[in-house]
Amino acid sequence: MTTDWTPAALSRDIPAASAAPGQLGETDLAIWRSASGRIAAWSDRCPHRGMRLSHGFVRGERLSCIYHGWGYGEGGQCVRIPAHPELTPPEAIKVPVFAAAEASGVVWVADGTPAGAPPEFPGFEGFRSLRIHAPATVLARAFGGAGHVIEGTLGPCAVVALIQPLPGNVSALHLLAPEGAGPATLDALSLAAEALRRTAEAQAEQAEEETA
Amino acid sequence: MSDQGAMRDHWYPVGMTKQLTAGGRDTLLMGEPIRVYLDNGAPAVSDGTGRSLPVIDRFGHVWTSLGAPNRDLFTIPEADQPGRRLVDVGVCRVRCSPLRAVENFLDIAHFPFVHTDILGSEPHTEVQRYEVEIREDVDEVWATKVKFYQPQAAKSAEGGITTDYMYRVCAPTCSVLYKTCPPKPGEWDVIALFVQPLTETLCEVWPWMALYDDAAEMTDLIHFQQMIFVQDRSVLENQLPALLPLDPGMEIPTRADMTSIAYRRWLKRHGFTYGAQLVAA
Repeated sequence: MTTDWTPAALSRDIPAASAAPGQLGETDLAIWRSASGRIAAWSDRCPHRGMRLSHGFVRGERLSCIYHGWGYGEGGQCVRIPAHPELTPPEAIKVPVFAAAEASGVVWVADGTPAGAPPEFPGFEGFRSLRIHAPATVLARAFGGAGHVIEGTLGPCAVVALIQPLPGNVSALHLLAPEGAGPATLDALSLAAEALRRTAEAQAEQAEEETA
Repeated sequence: MSDQGAMRDHWYPVGMTKQLTAGGRDTLLMGEPIRVYLDNGAPAVSDGTGRSLPVIDRFGHVWTSLGAPNRDLFTIPEADQPGRRLVDVGVCRVRCSPLRAVENFLDIAHFPFVHTDILGSEPHTEVQRYEVEIREDVDEVWATKVKFYQPQAAKSAEGGITTDYMYRVCAPTCSVLYKTCPPKPGEWDVIALFVQPLTETLCEVWPWMALYDDAAEMTDLIHFQQMIFVQDRSVLENQLPALLPLDPGMEIPTRADMTSIAYRRWLKRHGFTYGAQLVAA
C-alpha cells in the first residue's frame, strides 16, 4: 500500500456534520466532517455489526452508526453505546483510521503517514467529482494527458484533473476549476466533463471488445 | 450443492398461498431454480429438472425443501386462537444474507435509530438485561423478558408504551416474535419473519402476523409492517461483509446482542452456514 496522498473527494461535497462514502484502493471509506469542520477518513464499517459508517450521522465531533447509534470520536475510538448508556466502551472497539487532509478544496487520504502535505494548486479550487467507468490510463488519454495529476484545458477554461484509480476498471475524476470562475464558465465546464466521461467510457468499452 | 450444508433439509417459504396460479411463480431456493404453482387447485413445487418437491401449506405460505426434512415444519399455536387476524404482509426482496435478515429481526437496539419515532426514540435507547436460552427439547433459540420503550409500538398503539417482547428462532431462516398487544392486555401479538434464501446474499422476506387488532384496516396493517421492513432494508443492504460472520472477532457484540450471539452459535453448531462466513476474513 502506498503512503502517498490519494484524492478521494472534494471538500465542498462533505459539508460540516455530514458523512459520505469514499475509497482508497480496495478499501471503502467513510469520509466525514465534524460540526467544527474537521475532516476524517475512516474504514466504512462499524465494528459492531458491519454497517457502513458513511450512512451514519454526525453530532458535534462524533460520527455515529445509523444502525445502533454507536458513537465514535477522536482516533476512531468508540465512546458511546446507546443500548448501554452507563457503559464506557472498551478501548478495543475502534474504527481503523486513515490519514486525511485538505488542499485546494480536495480531500486527500492515505494509508499511513505521508512524508509531506498534499499538493496545493494555487488559483484553483475543487469543482466537481465524476465517477467514470474507464481505467485511469484510458481516462488520462481521453483528456489528452498521462498520469494522475493533469493540468490542462477542458471546455472553456484551464483545469486541474486529479484521476483516482478505483477497483474494477473504474476511476474518479476530481476536477479543479479556476477560483472565481463564473456560472456560465462552470456550466460549460460541467458539460465538457460529462462529454469527457462519455468519450473515456466509449474508449474503454471499445478496448474491452477488442480484447474479448 | 455443498454450501447448502445442513440447511438443505429444512423447510423454506417460497410464496403466498393466496397468490398462487396455475402458471406459477419462478423463483430460487438456495441458488436452485424452482417453480411454485397450483396443480389441480393444490400448491405444488418443482425444481429445475421437473422433480416434485415436498410441500406444506401453512401460515398463509407455501413451504418446500430441496432435501429430505426429518421433521415437520414448526407450529405457531397462537395462530389458531380465535379472534386473531392473520395478515399476509407480502414480500420484500433484500440484497442481503438470509441469516442477516433474521438476525436484524431479533434485534431491538436498532429501533430508535432505524425505526425512529415508531419502534423507538432517543433518549430511550437502553436495552435492559433479558434472558436467552437454546431450548434443547424443541431445538429453538428463545429470548424472553425483553422490554423496550416504544413511541408507537403497533398500528393500534396510541402514544408511547414499554413493550414486552419474546423472540423465538424456530428454523434457520424463520423467527417469531411475541409482543405486548395494546388493545388486549395480557395477550401477545404474533409477528413472524419467514425468509426465503434465494442465494447466500439475496433473500425474500415474507412477514406474517396474527394480531388481536380488529380496528385497523387490513391495508393499514400491511403498510405499517412494510414500512418497518423497508427501513430495515436500508441497513441490511449495507452491512460488510454481506455474509453473516459466525466466528467471533469479525464483529463485536455487547450484552444487548445476546439473542444474536445465541442465534449465531446455534447456526454454527448445526452447520446452518448458507449465507454465513465461517473464517474471519
